[in-house]
Amino acid sequence: MRTETGFDHSLYDRFPTSDPRPEGELEELERIWCAPKGWQLLTAVNNNYIGIFYVGAAFLFFLLAGILALVMRVQLALPLQGILPQETYNQFFTMHGTVMMFLFAVPMVEAIGVLLLPQMLAARDLPFPRLSAYAFWAYFVGGLCFFASLFFGLAPDGGWFMYPPYTSLTYSPGINADFWLLGIGFIEISAIAGAIEIIVGVLRTRAPGMTLDKMPVYAWAMLVLGVMIIIAFPSVILGTLLLELERAFNWPFFDPTRGGDALLWQHLFWFFGHPEVYIIFLPASGLVSMMVAAMARTPLVGHNLIVLAFLATGFISFGVWAHHMFTTGLPNLSIGFFSAASMAVSVPAGIQIFSWIATFAVGRPRFNAPTLFLLGGIVTFVVGGLTGVMVAMVPFDWQAHDSYFIVAHLHYVLLGGMVFPMFAAFYYWTPMTSRHPLSERLGKWAFWLMFAGMQVTFWPMHLTGLMGMPRRVYTYLPGREWEVTNMISSVGAFMLAAGVLLFLIDVARSFRFTTDHDAGNIYDGGTLEWLPTGLYSARSIPVVKSREPLWEDPGLAEDVKAGRYLLPGSATGLRETIVTSPLLAEPQYLQIMPGPSVWPFLAAIFTAGFFILLTIQAYTPSFTCGVLAVVCVLRWLWDTDRRVKEVTVDAGAGVRLPTYVTGPSTHGWWAMIILLIVVGMIFVMALFSFFYLFGVQSQFWQAPAPAGHLAIILPAYLAAAGLALLSRRMLAREKTEHWTPGVLYLCAAAALAAGVGADMWSWIGSGLVPEASGQGATVYALLSLEVLLVGVGVLMACYLCARNSRGMIVRPRNNSLDLCVLWVVYAAAQGSMTGVLTRLVGA
Amino acid sequence: MRTWALLLAGLVIWTVHFFALYIVGSIWLTTPLARALTLALTLLCTGAIAMFLVRARRYLPETAMDRWVRSISLVGLGVSAVAILWQGLPALLI
Amino acid sequence: MSGDSLIPVLTPAGPYAGSITMLAWLLIAMATAVLAIVIAALWIAFAGSDRLKSRLGGSRTIWIGGIGVPVVILTVLLVYGLSLTRNLTAPVPAETMRVRITGEMWWWRVAYLDETGQAFMIDANELHIPAGRPVLLELESNDVIHSFWVPQLSGKLDMVPGRRNTMPIQADAPGVFSGQCAEYCGGPHALMGFVVIAHEPADFDRMMTERRASRTPVLGTGAELFQRTGCAACHRIAGTKANGTAGPDLTHVGTRRSLGAGILPNNRGTLMGWIGDSQAIKPGNRMPPYKMLSAAELEAIASYLEAQR
Repeated sequence: MRTETGFDHSLYDRFPTSDPRPEGELEELERIWCAPKGWQLLTAVNNNYIGIFYVGAAFLFFLLAGILALVMRVQLALPLQGILPQETYNQFFTMHGTVMMFLFAVPMVEAIGVLLLPQMLAARDLPFPRLSAYAFWAYFVGGLCFFASLFFGLAPDGGWFMYPPYTSLTYSPGINADFWLLGIGFIEISAIAGAIEIIVGVLRTRAPGMTLDKMPVYAWAMLVLGVMIIIAFPSVILGTLLLELERAFNWPFFDPTRGGDALLWQHLFWFFGHPEVYIIFLPASGLVSMMVAAMARTPLVGHNLIVLAFLATGFISFGVWAHHMFTTGLPNLSIGFFSAASMAVSVPAGIQIFSWIATFAVGRPRFNAPTLFLLGGIVTFVVGGLTGVMVAMVPFDWQAHDSYFIVAHLHYVLLGGMVFPMFAAFYYWTPMTSRHPLSERLGKWAFWLMFAGMQVTFWPMHLTGLMGMPRRVYTYLPGREWEVTNMISSVGAFMLAAGVLLFLIDVARSFRFTTDHDAGNIYDGGTLEWLPTGLYSARSIPVVKSREPLWEDPGLAEDVKAGRYLLPGSATGLRETIVTSPLLAEPQYLQIMPGPSVWPFLAAIFTAGFFILLTIQAYTPSFTCGVLAVVCVLRWLWDTDRRVKEVTVDAGAGVRLPTYVTGPSTHGWWAMIILLIVVGMIFVMALFSFFYLFGVQSQFWQAPAPAGHLAIILPAYLAAAGLALLSRRMLAREKTEHWTPGVLYLCAAAALAAGVGADMWSWIGSGLVPEASGQGATVYALLSLEVLLVGVGVLMACYLCARNSRGMIVRPRNNSLDLCVLWVVYAAAQGSMTGVLTRLVGA
Repeated sequence: MRTWALLLAGLVIWTVHFFALYIVGSIWLTTPLARALTLALTLLCTGAIAMFLVRARRYLPETAMDRWVRSISLVGLGVSAVAILWQGLPALLI
Repeated sequence: MSGDSLIPVLTPAGPYAGSITMLAWLLIAMATAVLAIVIAALWIAFAGSDRLKSRLGGSRTIWIGGIGVPVVILTVLLVYGLSLTRNLTAPVPAETMRVRITGEMWWWRVAYLDETGQAFMIDANELHIPAGRPVLLELESNDVIHSFWVPQLSGKLDMVPGRRNTMPIQADAPGVFSGQCAEYCGGPHALMGFVVIAHEPADFDRMMTERRASRTPVLGTGAELFQRTGCAACHRIAGTKANGTAGPDLTHVGTRRSLGAGILPNNRGTLMGWIGDSQAIKPGNRMPPYKMLSAAELEAIASYLEAQR
């Protein structure tokens, strides 16, 4: 393919330019990107700040969850100890797992992405800075409140995967389980927001010329991560929604006495839960690939194979979820499929390991702190991967499942596959954001303590599991020698903690955050994050010609700093970056980016407030926060989608780019499509629940609501979609009245409401109530999802009418209107499918 | 679009194979019918992979990017084929 | 409890566990070999001779080490594993002895079934089986998910409310085998143990006949206290008025090797301690403490229970 968008590649030959840059251009750029100071820092949206906040917050949760583990290990060092009473221990292990998985691991890999990706792609920022800010603050405030539940004895105690019926209201009557369900709700929001950023960022904001084959492997890992999040997270979002509905309103999704099934939760949870661990591992292995190449001072051997390994892991990891359910009594043939797929998913991991070995062998690797953490991580991960193959074998899993063997396995893959790479990344990339690098000497000590500590802690657990000790036990009886391996593990845990402490000391002594006086490229990496940067990232956005631009062109850093590439200053007087095409990274348009804003911060506080207050059943304050959150979001959106006076600008050397684009190639459209995929996946999982409960418990089902009512429902939805599309078409016409598009959209939203209203009325009339059976619960859950979509549609209609009245919906095409139209069309489609599919099966 | 289709062909076929098998196993459990359907689906998907392999090998790349797409596509088809054959084994062995 | 092996998963006592142990050893050997190869390769990459390093430093290493060899090893393992899965779940003969075990929070209800599927004898927390023959377990749950795991006799299988999962176990020779609930069920999940006792077939038949024989109820202070204190509300003793089903059946409690679901030896002292204050031993369990009973009263009830054989 020679050109993707019609862009003339010979324009690249104009760079680097040789004319001197105008006076004051750099100062102007610095002024525009200047960071807020003092309290205003809360309003920062730039990825350098949000990224460092995010990394710091995630690391804080790592420490907090780690402390919980230390206390647990003290308890388990000897039999029948009472340091922690039973109930407290049960809360501790639940919180350790939940905080590590939801508040540390996924946020940390996203955080490193927020910090690193734009730099690596030579973009000025992520495509939706305010969304990052919102995601971060919601996660941080919500996460702290969630952790605080421990101090009130209100922490959840059902294990980090919270299986019903134990977590249903009957056996967990307190609000502890609700803390988990609602508590991780906002973390789910953050993760989805992060995924949207990353997908659009990787595919649409790369430096010009960075075609897909020249994209760094870390960007590939993050792309796959983003797609995995949007496919996997909806499953746990729906699952937590259903369990909360069961607890709050008695809708029997998981209660077998009324047509529910405890295993439905497990399917929903693990369809998310297994990809979740690859969501954690892939970005870390992407970082490892980048660091191995840099440490070995040679390009990564098998680059293409690694890219393929990421893609393959991304897909195949969705086919293994039931290997967490081998002991539940699933049909044997199905178990066989999952065992086979679980074997298959280990092949891409093997590809990566040997690629790293080959790269080290070709290059001249150095034994510094990052390399030590990399090697320690690789060896540890290989052990974990091998025990993973062992438990992929069903009969062996029948012995090892739910024992300390699994605890060993999961810690080996998580520490080897994510935590050690994370520390390697800290040592390697700190010079990019700090005035001083971290200390090599302390780093080596920290490594050896952590590595040895890790082995001493977790290696014996393989044996402990084979000795018959199950997991999640607050104590054990003497007389079986379990205390021997347990004591060794407990000692190791403190060694590991000592290593982490050393690291903290190193950070406190050496790390000084900066955006423009960083320590520089001391490890001589070859990719773009090592360009000299300010808060605006690179001074000018280079044209990329290879995978390691800094190695291939030693003068690149100097040229970029002198402004000899694209966008050496601000073309419009505002913050900007270049949006490029997904395959060949051809420049398409100039994106105007936002500066600091208080609205995402406030929206996040109110969102967290909504969930936390709902959990403690303070309903009025909760709903107030909810309304305020919506108001803040709308106020934030109000600032979006504005035109500047320049229709096109000179992005450098005469390359002209438009400043306002509409349609399927805009980053906003892409974000909405990705969001709709998330909504769609939630719908798919709800449909799965519906058909699954019909499959296992059809004796509880009654006849569905009359199919004849579809004659009202479907036309209503069709009208909604049609009116929405019409509003868009009317906007494009010269002769349309000013208020027509807004009113048409309003009618579309009304038609949506009519559709779901008719469907709801039809089901209520059929006599089905949600508490009655699995059918009732799932039908009304599907209807509730649609009501939610319609509600958002109505909100969008009011928002559009407000914008329209201010003359902000400008002909011929407008992004705000387009995105809202996409929403209504999707909602109409989902509503129609709900109406048809729920009437398909029954008594 | 075509580039993504080529890159992901093998893995998409894997996805179809796996989820079709999951549905077969869930509806028909461990029965001769389920085994027969599994083998049929495995044959079908292996055939699809073979077809794409032939096409990919015939695809003449013009640029370095095209060569890269072809290389990833081929390995993806290969890895997917292995996974598909493994997933078909339970029909014979379980 | 005494008589346990140190590493139950690697010291199987019957065919259903034995075949898994064989697989386990093969897997351990494979994993050790692969780990050794990876460490050796890393060693060469960093410290090996130039000749070795150049052989390692190419994409061929990835094709062989990362794809070729794994595909071969994993194919072999998968074939072995799938075949073993089928063998372990092969149907047992129709006349196989069946026992229904129901998981409760935090103990096990054991019901020996006759040919029609009716329970002819009920017990709790311990299972007696004849050695040398398979026994089919029907695993259910009355509340939350539990998991039945006696590693020397078989892998584990979950007890999911609303479902019945079946699994054969077999002990090749007489012995005592312990297990523990392996699915977190809240509260004192850590103290939900189980004991399986395998007998010579002749001894087993004799024992069952003895137990099924009709019995004369034991009288005395203990029996009166048992009724008066309210034990009968939760516990059943066949042949008496005590018919409660919320707690373990005590008809044969005197023969049990353990109390409290496999966590205490069974003797007069532990019986008294358990009745007096089971919460101190197993916090959160469903039996309230009976601290108002005097030592003499506790002793009377304990000796009454010891006589239930």
